[in-house]
Amino acid sequence: MQLSDRQIRRYSRQIILPEIGGKGQKKLLASKVLVVGAGGLGSPVTYYLAAAGVGTLGIIDHDTVDLSNLHRQILHGTPDVGRPKVESAKETLEKLNPDVKIITYQERLSKENVVDLISQYDLVVDAVDNFTARYLLNDACVLVNKPLVEAGVLRWDGMIMTVVPGKGPCYRCVFPTPPAPESAPTCQEAGIIGVTAGVMGVLQATEAVKFLLNTGENLVGRMLIFHALESRFQEVEITRQESCPVCGSEPTITQLEEYTGYCTP
Amino acid sequence: MQLEVRLFANLRDYLPKDSKGQVKVELPEGSTAADLIKHLNIPRDLPLIIMVNGRREPENHVLQDGDRVGIFPPVGGG
Repeated sequence: MQLSDRQIRRYSRQIILPEIGGKGQKKLLASKVLVVGAGGLGSPVTYYLAAAGVGTLGIIDHDTVDLSNLHRQILHGTPDVGRPKVESAKETLEKLNPDVKIITYQERLSKENVVDLISQYDLVVDAVDNFTARYLLNDACVLVNKPLVEAGVLRWDGMIMTVVPGKGPCYRCVFPTPPAPESAPTCQEAGIIGVTAGVMGVLQATEAVKFLLNTGENLVGRMLIFHALESRFQEVEITRQESCPVCGSEPTITQLEEYTGYCTP
Repeated sequence: MQLEVRLFANLRDYLPKDSKGQVKVELPEGSTAADLIKHLNIPRDLPLIIMVNGRREPENHVLQDGDRVGIFPPVGGG
């Protein structure tokens, strides 16, 4: 594949970076990333990945746009209220960069569809809004050996880590079991400031681009926590746990289960 | 001993309203991070990240006078 003149112009400011170059740009254009969720995290993630010229973006989200989404879900606008999020996302991203092939799935992530979906992509980005999908996605990525950029937000705070199965810890190495529903409020219940979702989503896109280019250092074995109220980042060393129920030496989770009892908005 | 404690995300609900997420806590010598969590009435069914003076420590870590403790819950929103 050769870059066209238009592509060279479009991506010129990143092609001149020594870590990217024409070769790196072609690599991005040949890459496939699945973003699970087209909300507060999924908006900045897909925006920046599309802008950077990641050639194929899969987006899965079953939901429709609500007025209360718009303070943080910047893929969608006021006229999109009531429309499927994936439809609105596709329109916005195709307008931004027609180079990118956008594949949409208007469905809920489940133990039935997750393995088939993630197997078609090079990298998965977790941009979901609930623990049910978060644990399902972590377990599926570990079981089929798929890299995962994981992030979550609540109120003013956010966390991010990159899971490369076999190379570093997974989400369950840090948080072995989902919290009880009454101890784990959703953004709907506890609130979220739009910018925190923005910061964490942009960091997820950063992780994805570096991983695809095989450059720099990913957040493998490190968790980065952002506190917007104090404008502070904290880095936490995390290690792979022998006792991890999914990636440990004697895993108890060897096939996917549905985690019920947790709120799935 | 006196500890400087910061709680994050929804854990802030376990501090007084005017605390701005940070509070000084008096605990007996020899208290552990688990004792602090119990003292603050944080639910036990929540997996937590405990940072003591910037380092991650387990729940049975024995705290010292003047320690800065940060506690972070899993955040699941997006």
